Amino acid sequence: MDPAAGSGTLWAGLRRRSANGEGGRGTRRVRVRCRRGPPGCRAPGTMEPAEAEFLAEKELVTIVPNFSLDRIHLIGGDLGPFNPGLPVEVPVWLAINLKQRQKCRLIPPEWMDVEKLEEIRDQERKEDTFTPMPSPYYMELTKLLLNYASDNIPKADEIRTLVKDTWDTRIAKLRLSADSFVKQQEAHAKLDNLTLMEINTIGTFLTQALDHMYKLRTNLQPGESAQSQDF
Amino acid sequence: MRARPRRLAGSGGGMAAAGGEGMRTEQEPDSDGGSEELVLTPAQLIRSLEQAWLNEKFAPELLESKPEIIECVVEQLDHMDANLKRAKKGDLKVSVHHMEIERIRYVLSSYLRCRLVKIEKFFPHVLEKEKSRAEGEPSILSPEEFAFAKEYMANTETYLKNVALKHMPPNLQKVSLLKSVPKPNLDSFVFLRVLERQENILVEPETDEQREYTIDLEEGSQHLIRYKTIAPLVASGAVQLI
Repeated sequence: MDPAAGSGTLWAGLRRRSANGEGGRGTRRVRVRCRRGPPGCRAPGTMEPAEAEFLAEKELVTIVPNFSLDRIHLIGGDLGPFNPGLPVEVPVWLAINLKQRQKCRLIPPEWMDVEKLEEIRDQERKEDTFTPMPSPYYMELTKLLLNYASDNIPKADEIRTLVKDTWDTRIAKLRLSADSFVKQQEAHAKLDNLTLMEINTIGTFLTQALDHMYKLRTNLQPGESAQSQDF
Repeated sequence: MRARPRRLAGSGGGMAAAGGEGMRTEQEPDSDGGSEELVLTPAQLIRSLEQAWLNEKFAPELLESKPEIIECVVEQLDHMDANLKRAKKGDLKVSVHHMEIERIRYVLSSYLRCRLVKIEKFFPHVLEKEKSRAEGEPSILSPEEFAFAKEYMANTETYLKNVALKHMPPNLQKVSLLKSVPKPNLDSFVFLRVLERQENILVEPETDEQREYTIDLEEGSQHLIRYKTIAPLVASGAVQLI
């Protein structure tokens, strides 16, 4: 059981209890090998959190630059012109980059404010269903802006806690409704106010679980000509 | 009706992207007959590339190939690259354009890589589907992908024969790859967002006790449903997989 050296392999050691349930002497180490490919080429049907963040980075945010530049004609649209001291809207990927180069100051979006977020959190806790969120990418934007521009955002820590609380409430609701979806074997669900990050968190597991259950169910009937799909 | 890219509209000088003016795509007067002009701004082109990327990511089967989008995006990227090489001044502008090029390139290569993974996974079925495609139906493989799939199939068959089948008793030396390789599971569940309102989508029952029922898909709503029912909607662009 020697670990083989390999670039890109991650070895995790698991301690397994022996059959009589004792720890200590009877335990054996089981090595589990999982290989991670570069993001973007994993199995189809999955999305990395990094890719959800990539999509969130297209959202527009206001910055106040300290340099001047005339209009930039990007493939995806025009930006600018940039004048020191005058606010301008740019996509988040550019805003973060400029901030890192200390060329601008970020202005938090209007929903990133303690009272508003408290309201949203309380609303979410009250309702059984999902309430609409101020931005379809609230989680990613919070993480990005608070990581790179927390000096531009007042009460950053409180905001982080509030957003996390809201997220936890929503994920708990999502887990419950996914559970009942699977138990009652429903065929369709409407999930209007869910954001992409939340769907991704549970999406792969849920769809794969549903697939497995479907395969088990359709293979119950013996006389059917359903072809076996797996070896 | 397939639109084929003809040429990109001329660019402004310096850093301007090749557009602001729309891109003209015209159809050649070939067997499809008629001609249709589809004008896409570069921003819309990038938007449709991202849509195609997400759809391909989450669909269980290989979707239609979109050669016109890919060609146009590659043209745009090459054009912008050439512009950047020419204009060395203005460090900030160059880096901003460069960043955007990298982002678009990431989406494009992720899209192509996703398609290749699916081709490798389902190669006999993909080739079979391509062979039995009717004239005028859109192809699911680009010419390069088709060549790749055929080569992959030939290589797999040769490998299987040389490693295992050659050594089997003579009556067991045939393996039908079409039957042994698992088909894409069209019954898997997918998440989708509705772009165009649809009425009366049939939802098939899961268990024997349930009835089938119809639902309406409102624009902007999100759903979790089996892929098979909404596959034609994905192909037509009425829904977006997420």
